[in-house]
Amino acid sequence: MKVFSNTETFDYSWEEVSTANWRKYCPWNDKSTHVVAVDTVSRTVDPATGILRTERLITCKQSAPDWLKSVMGGCMADESHVFETSYVDPATRTVTMVSANLTWSNLINVEETVVYRPLNEHQTQFKQEAKITALCGGWQRIKNNIEDSLVKRFRENAIKGKEGFEAVLEMSRRVFAEEREREKMSTIRAQASHIRMAHAS
Amino acid sequence: MSQSLAKQCNELKERYDTCFLKWYSEKYLRGIGTADNNECSTLFKEYSSCLQEALKERGIDRLLEDAREDNKENDAAFLGRKK
Repeated sequence: MKVFSNTETFDYSWEEVSTANWRKYCPWNDKSTHVVAVDTVSRTVDPATGILRTERLITCKQSAPDWLKSVMGGCMADESHVFETSYVDPATRTVTMVSANLTWSNLINVEETVVYRPLNEHQTQFKQEAKITALCGGWQRIKNNIEDSLVKRFRENAIKGKEGFEAVLEMSRRVFAEEREREKMSTIRAQASHIRMAHAS
Repeated sequence: MSQSLAKQCNELKERYDTCFLKWYSEKYLRGIGTADNNECSTLFKEYSSCLQEALKERGIDRLLEDAREDNKENDAAFLGRKK
């Protein structure tokens, strides 16, 4: 088993980060293009704790390294699926996301845990840990190669993921500000017309 | 918003995602949206029935069942039950 871990800080509030996280893989993010689809399979709020539990199916298109394809006899599809379960706890202001690979799961086991926690009112910490285990029987050398290549892939995707999410956060902040502005303007317009009507009568 | 893995569900997904995001930021995070039955429930049902069919067609529904079973420990840990 190999472990990849990574910690980042985002200069946005936990509320902003946890909201933008739902659209991390949207067209605003032009870095994580290996994620081609994100579907929500189930979503519930626990009545006792208020925890929001969500199951998502993430579809990726990222070709496997050529040497791995040759080991696998070229039967690897380029499309793969990841099952993600997330838990939002508004009481402790924590988002925990656990992901596991659905594709090639009899061969490789990848379990990733991501936690978003507030550092203060303006900053949020992102903590990521992935455990990668090659399950196939056979040579240890091949297993090591498979694990190493996935760790490398995680490291590359982590850098792109941070850049892409920064772009989404920036756009989200802008869009929310515009929306608030529009709401404010329509309230002002409504008030103005009330005043005009009051004057007229 | 992101795409659905099934093209025919994209429109229903978009409508639900938009509703959810608004509910999440304006209600849930402010502690006023704790019920499952909210303004997005009908939209979710519509999107979900489209998606479920697509998952069945691709045989992903069974993979999800297994993954859900494997995830039971995480549910216990993160939903704060079974301490």
